[in-house]
Amino acid sequence: MRHVGLKARMAVVGSILFAFYAVAAVVVMGVFDWPLALVLLASVLFVGVQYKLGKWMALRSVGAEDLPEERSPDLHRRVESLSRDMRIDKPRLMIASMGVPNAFAIGRKGAGTVVVSEELLRTLDTDEVEGVLAHELAHIRNRDVVMMVLGQGVASIVAIVAQWAVLLTGDNDIADFFLAIVVGQLTQMLVMLFVFAISRYREYVADSDAADELGSGEPLARALEKISRGAQGRESQVDSQAAALCIFDDRGGLASLLSTHPPVEKRIERLRSR
Amino acid sequence: MTDARTLLAAILGLLLGAVCLVAPGAVVRVQTAGRRPTGRDGEYGTDAVPDRWRRLVQALGVGLVAAGGYFGYVAL
Repeated sequence: MRHVGLKARMAVVGSILFAFYAVAAVVVMGVFDWPLALVLLASVLFVGVQYKLGKWMALRSVGAEDLPEERSPDLHRRVESLSRDMRIDKPRLMIASMGVPNAFAIGRKGAGTVVVSEELLRTLDTDEVEGVLAHELAHIRNRDVVMMVLGQGVASIVAIVAQWAVLLTGDNDIADFFLAIVVGQLTQMLVMLFVFAISRYREYVADSDAADELGSGEPLARALEKISRGAQGRESQVDSQAAALCIFDDRGGLASLLSTHPPVEKRIERLRSR
Repeated sequence: MTDARTLLAAILGLLLGAVCLVAPGAVVRVQTAGRRPTGRDGEYGTDAVPDRWRRLVQALGVGLVAAGGYFGYVAL
């Protein structure tokens, strides 16, 4: 059985998210007199619009363009071969100039897109690029993007319901409006803690899948190492004011609980200890 | 007399404001996860958040702390 650990964790987090959603749905049904079918339809529409809009905006925001096969036949061949091995349809391959080495996957199994940055292709060797591609294809195969959209959908719905619950039970003065906004944000944060926990674990699973496909975790580990070394060099050139502003972030505590990715060093360590 | 809801608005406003000031990247991630691809900003393998977004959230944090302080003053 594949990914037993992931399935067990998904069962726990899925149940927690469902419980949050069920409470929100019951509140909507009670307060607005909506039948269950309407609540479900509105939820599906809400998440569906987020998914479609998110996909469109992601490609637009980085100015991603289709990577024609004639321009990079080798890359296309590698994606095709990996997709075949991973038993998924070959995703749409796009390229963008992002200013830094990067790659990401969007969409779902059967309708996925992988975007790679020109900087990534310039920075990494052929086998390292393959490691990155295998990791992104694993995200598509494991439906990680869909899971994240669903998680955010539940968090947003629960937050909206919490906001309305505050508004409808108050006097509608300025303090109530403020309280409603704050409660909504904090509720969303609380639900997202669970979504992020599973997201970090899914990164490890995608790393492990990529290593399985390539027969070794070394290419992806090297890619991560090379990119993070380059990033440290660039960060040292960031002005001290910006550095002071970032000092607490992405380092332990709340910031690490609200992270989608585990620390790069831990990922490299796991990839190499396989 | 202390208005419990106004006092709650003050406490939670200060709490959210503090989170925005201390961990602006985390606040951005909560809003963008599932709406934009994770790891889209910054380097590959990270979920970095652009500095301008952090600063915007920190500015909001200052506003939230100020509003929380005001409601606290009104409630007490």
